[in-house]
Amino acid sequence: MTLPPLIPLAGAAANIAVVLLAAPLFEGLLRKLTARIQSRQGPPLLQPYFDLLKLLGKEDIESGETPRMQRFAVYLALATVLTVACLVPMGFPAPLDAVGDAILLIYLLTLAGICTLLAGLAAGSTFSVLGISREMMSMMLLEPLLAVALVTGAVHTRSFRLDTLLNGSVYASGGVPWSGLILLGVLLLSFQGFVQRVPFDIAEAETELMEGPLMEYSGPKLALFKYAQMSKLVVYSSLAVGLFIPWGSELGFPWAWLLFWGKVLAFVLLVTLVAATHARYRIDQAIRYFATLLAAALGALLLASCGL
Amino acid sequence: MNPFPMSPEHAVLGAMLACAAGALLTLACRRRPALGGWTAFAAAAASSLLALGGAARVLAAGPGPALTVLGARPLEFGLRLHVDGLSAIFLGVIAAVTLPAALYSIDFMRRRHHPGTGHYYPPLLLFIAAMYGIVSTTDMMWFFFIFWQLMTLAGFVLIRFERDRPGTARAANRYLLMMQLACALTMIGAGLLARTGVTTGAGETLMRYDFDAVTRHLPAQLRFHPLGAATAFALFLAGFGIKLGMWPFGQFWLPDAHPAAPSPVSALLSGVMIKTGVYGLMRCFLWLVPAEAQADYPAAGWGALMVLLGTITLAVGTVQALQQNHTKRLLAFSSIGQAGYILLGLGVCLTLVGSADPAIRALAVAGFCGALFHVINHSLFKSLLFLNAGSVLHATGTQDMNQLGGLLRFMPATALSALVASAAIAGVPLSSGFASKWSIFLGAIQGHPAAWWLPLAATIAILTSAVTLALMTKFYGAVFLTRASSLVLNRAAQTRQPGLDVPTTMKLAQAALATLCLGFGLLPAAGFGLVDRALQASRQGLGTVLADAAPVTAGAWTGVGGAAGQAVYAPLLVLLVLGLAFAFARLLARAGGAPRRAAAPWLCGYATAHEMNRYRASHFYADIQRHLEWAGGRLAPPPAPEPATPPPTPAQPELLPWSLEKDSPS
Repeated sequence: MTLPPLIPLAGAAANIAVVLLAAPLFEGLLRKLTARIQSRQGPPLLQPYFDLLKLLGKEDIESGETPRMQRFAVYLALATVLTVACLVPMGFPAPLDAVGDAILLIYLLTLAGICTLLAGLAAGSTFSVLGISREMMSMMLLEPLLAVALVTGAVHTRSFRLDTLLNGSVYASGGVPWSGLILLGVLLLSFQGFVQRVPFDIAEAETELMEGPLMEYSGPKLALFKYAQMSKLVVYSSLAVGLFIPWGSELGFPWAWLLFWGKVLAFVLLVTLVAATHARYRIDQAIRYFATLLAAALGALLLASCGL
Repeated sequence: MNPFPMSPEHAVLGAMLACAAGALLTLACRRRPALGGWTAFAAAAASSLLALGGAARVLAAGPGPALTVLGARPLEFGLRLHVDGLSAIFLGVIAAVTLPAALYSIDFMRRRHHPGTGHYYPPLLLFIAAMYGIVSTTDMMWFFFIFWQLMTLAGFVLIRFERDRPGTARAANRYLLMMQLACALTMIGAGLLARTGVTTGAGETLMRYDFDAVTRHLPAQLRFHPLGAATAFALFLAGFGIKLGMWPFGQFWLPDAHPAAPSPVSALLSGVMIKTGVYGLMRCFLWLVPAEAQADYPAAGWGALMVLLGTITLAVGTVQALQQNHTKRLLAFSSIGQAGYILLGLGVCLTLVGSADPAIRALAVAGFCGALFHVINHSLFKSLLFLNAGSVLHATGTQDMNQLGGLLRFMPATALSALVASAAIAGVPLSSGFASKWSIFLGAIQGHPAAWWLPLAATIAILTSAVTLALMTKFYGAVFLTRASSLVLNRAAQTRQPGLDVPTTMKLAQAALATLCLGFGLLPAAGFGLVDRALQASRQGLGTVLADAAPVTAGAWTGVGGAAGQAVYAPLLVLLVLGLAFAFARLLARAGGAPRRAAAPWLCGYATAHEMNRYRASHFYADIQRHLEWAGGRLAPPPAPEPATPPPTPAQPELLPWSLEKDSPS
């Protein structure tokens, strides 16, 4: 590492703090907007903060046979999302750029998913396990989509460094960036799945599975899961912005930073709009949908290998 | 610098003799399982120490001269042993896995109600001795044959150990058939390449079939008989491919043989025996070919073929594993999948090794290091998983995951070590499996200027590791998490001690392997350092090219780096950040002072937790499996051993006709 270790750690702390502070706000915005689209009044903008605070003080019912594993999974779920936040540039270079590369990022994102799976399995109720089975099925097809985008960027730039990749690397081929444009389309069509919102919130599916993996969780544990999920929305939006909408990142501190969060906000609004106007897919429909996208993404990768 | 007083070749000879002596002793006390077990453990420990010492000496101080023990000139027959860096790594792997397996066997075999262990410990020790021999002899014909046959026949006896169980004899026969085929193919390959004996500069006379003699003649062979040489290499690929479980050969024997064998033997089969196939491939495709013959050797073509076969192997093997509902059968298929990763890494290396660009050659090293490090890691975590499966079998009497569940509460030590191994095989960050896959992916993705298909193969491998994750979630979830099955509850009620966990020696064996897994995961620099030392200590053939190329950089805190600093992974720092974030999350959860209470799970108010509504292994991923049936792997599952006690029947409601057989949870 060229930098003294304190600067990356300070940057990591800053990223974590921003994500923790901003995530409930974005969630509040999402809820409010959804309500307005559906002609409802909706909760106040700050409601998610109050929800979290309330849940942190409520009774924590542990219904699994192995409460230790339940606790471990919950803490790790939030911890993983926050660690990922340190690997993503958010208006300034990624704090832990020298600690991990794109391959680590891909696998850390799956680790975040695994925690939910562990939690659901440790709770062990039939509905939870049904939920995790669905969650895993969509993860199997979803995670590779992002991996393909990162690999394409790596092929174009011949690097795995996050600062290089999360700076519009998918378009870094000469001429018309066909592979990048295809991947942008794939990402826009699959983004709801990454952040587990309607129409791809199949694992949780409140109305049929009663939140699936999270069904047996209450109190602080539920708060942590909700927090992790809200942070995921911010982190994935940042990732998508970095990979696909990099323009303006060279503007210098205040403007680049503001522009970055403006773009993240735009992504959140997009998610909201899609979520509010769609109905949930069934798991088999979702599998077919994601498999088609995956085929398109692999095609884009082939183009990228040929220099397009 | 002399970390070990014996020459490595003498150490290997000593290790083999220790095993042979142990085999005789255990044969003598075959009626006393406990004594036999400890004797076998002592012999395995002695041989492991010798082998580890020899390997350490080679890695620290470089290889010494070869040792010729027996020789019969007219028959072109001689036992010549030579331990270089590559052999040292494999010797180390064999030693590191056989020792816990031997320790584990003591209590595992004590409770098998067989008249004696005469069919177990003697072949086990001979099996180990043969593996030591096969990775250190330079004779490509006669002693290769002897060691291979010893390994095969000993393995055959071991797989057949529980031959009264249906399906076991058939699995053993298949194993025997495929291994004989592999042996024949490799020997024909060696025969095609061998010409005459040669005399080295040092005055040593080499036999006709000696590895170094074949190397000496190979440039001429490649130039003037390219077809013959290509046939020989194809035969090597097929022969060793059969051994390591390469598609389509692996599916014939591996998934049947592993579940049939007693668990410590499965651990050895999957942990080390199939790795001798990898050793053979590395030896023949890289070390056999002199660097000056590179112009006539189509390394990139063989590499492309291996990348193709490796990618198919890893995808098909893993997808087939997803469909299994028996612990050891699932693990066996996943061994095929993991062997695919190793083959992919080796293929990447071969594709790139001939490049004129030093940056690309450095990626060839990344591919090779990934493959060899994955050999080490896979040996550790897969043998650990087989031991875990053995412990589960020991505690519950079944391998059927549908009848298992909730064992974490009853076998915490086993469950913890299984968690480490499952994380490693799924390539969870900070685990050992992640580090080696990282290196393979690095070589494959960045190697695209030399071969456009490499990133695609790597992406399929990344996709497959999501399937591996699903597979291990199913394995771990269905066995150790979810709710306790009635079989498990019944067993727990029958035993007098609390819990169902295995005896201490078995726990120790599992803990030792889990510690090694954790260590290599957090300090991948140690693994890459070992592999680099191995390359430096085996400068021969194309191994020289690899040894001279820029290595994967490795340091404790800085982690590992490659592609001229364009790829980095520092697990200790990741652990630091993750740990801090974990502590923060824990603090946050406690901050509100929320009271905790245990309660029964809520099943919508009209049902209670019951064996009939438990989510079982066969229900996992039903929707995606429907799309994956083309991969096969469901045929002829070995019949599960009946549980010793019939499943309990606590006041059950009437079975509904649609109940458990064909419902799909969508």
